Amino acid sequence: MIADGSDAAPSPSPVPRTRGALFTAFLKMGMLGFGGVLPWARRVLVEERRWLSEREFAELIGLCQVLPGPNVVNMAVILGARWQGVPGALLALTGILFIPVGGVLVLATFYASVAHSPVVTAAIAAASAAAAGLIIATAIRLLVGARLPPHGLVVGAVVFVLVALVHAPLLWVLAGAVPVAIVLEWHQSR
Amino acid sequence: MSAGPDVLFEIAWRFASLSLFAVGGINALLPEFHRVVVDVEHWMTSAEFADLFALAQLAPGPNAMVVSLLGWKVAGVTGAFVATIAACGPSSFVSYFAMRRFERMKNSRARAIIQRALAPIAIGLVLASGYTLARAADRSLVALALTVAATAAVAGTRVNPVWVLAAAAAVGLTGLA
Repeated sequence: MIADGSDAAPSPSPVPRTRGALFTAFLKMGMLGFGGVLPWARRVLVEERRWLSEREFAELIGLCQVLPGPNVVNMAVILGARWQGVPGALLALTGILFIPVGGVLVLATFYASVAHSPVVTAAIAAASAAAAGLIIATAIRLLVGARLPPHGLVVGAVVFVLVALVHAPLLWVLAGAVPVAIVLEWHQSR
Repeated sequence: MSAGPDVLFEIAWRFASLSLFAVGGINALLPEFHRVVVDVEHWMTSAEFADLFALAQLAPGPNAMVVSLLGWKVAGVTGAFVATIAACGPSSFVSYFAMRRFERMKNSRARAIIQRALAPIAIGLVLASGYTLARAADRSLVALALTVAATAAVAGTRVNPVWVLAAAAAVGLTGLA
């Protein structure tokens, strides 16, 4: 175990030194983000660049989920602005959103001609099954890295059951889970 | 494609007015987008909407790109960028200012408590989206095996996920999955 879990003094994470470094990191997440950007965001920010710890990443994603808008787009705005101000936010958005949008428009013009080819459909279906595994693996890595206390594990499990198994509306789950989680955390930290 | 200013304005205000309600991401609002572009505005059929949604999931980039594709279908490339900025702009402004306030909060203990409280919720939601996608994608035993193998490979090793996805696509090409 590395001693980076203490609450008082989180290990000082290095930050992107240049706007170019910031931009290329977010471009990489956007361009590799097949089946969802989140697994790539964790890999690039936590494992490769080490700009965030596992726990900082989980906390940030939590904030992005209670804010309106796509989570990874919010994450790009927040981290870009934190590290390089407003230009950083715009660069991060360009890398993770606008360049991939350009790519998807190119794909869209060809998509109609291959969409119903059985070979393409079979390859895509198999890759989608693996992409689901990628997201599950990301959740596992976050779970291991965040080292949640027992009450945190209960909150996470209840959220999972309500959203994945009960299919409760997300807004209602968040409206219930966020205050409960904050009260539990506050109670525990006294 | 008819990319008149009226249509672009219509896309902009329709999507911008949904932006601030997208708590949990654009996917949470998909039924509402479907209602607006298919039932109210008659910009496309339900099947076209489903095709664009599938493409946004498949293509590299945020799944929120489905709004760009909806804009593209209605008004070409300009429509795509108007739709993207309209759907993501207002929420990005809110995130920017909310986060600036949050990070300057005087009471750092309260801030730490809120952050720690949100981490397990985020993890539960990520796991839920992985599970939901797996349920949708795993229509055969081979597909289920691919999900399990990909989970194990990415959670347990440092292999680059690109190779995991490529290997799965290759299995799909053989016709087994």
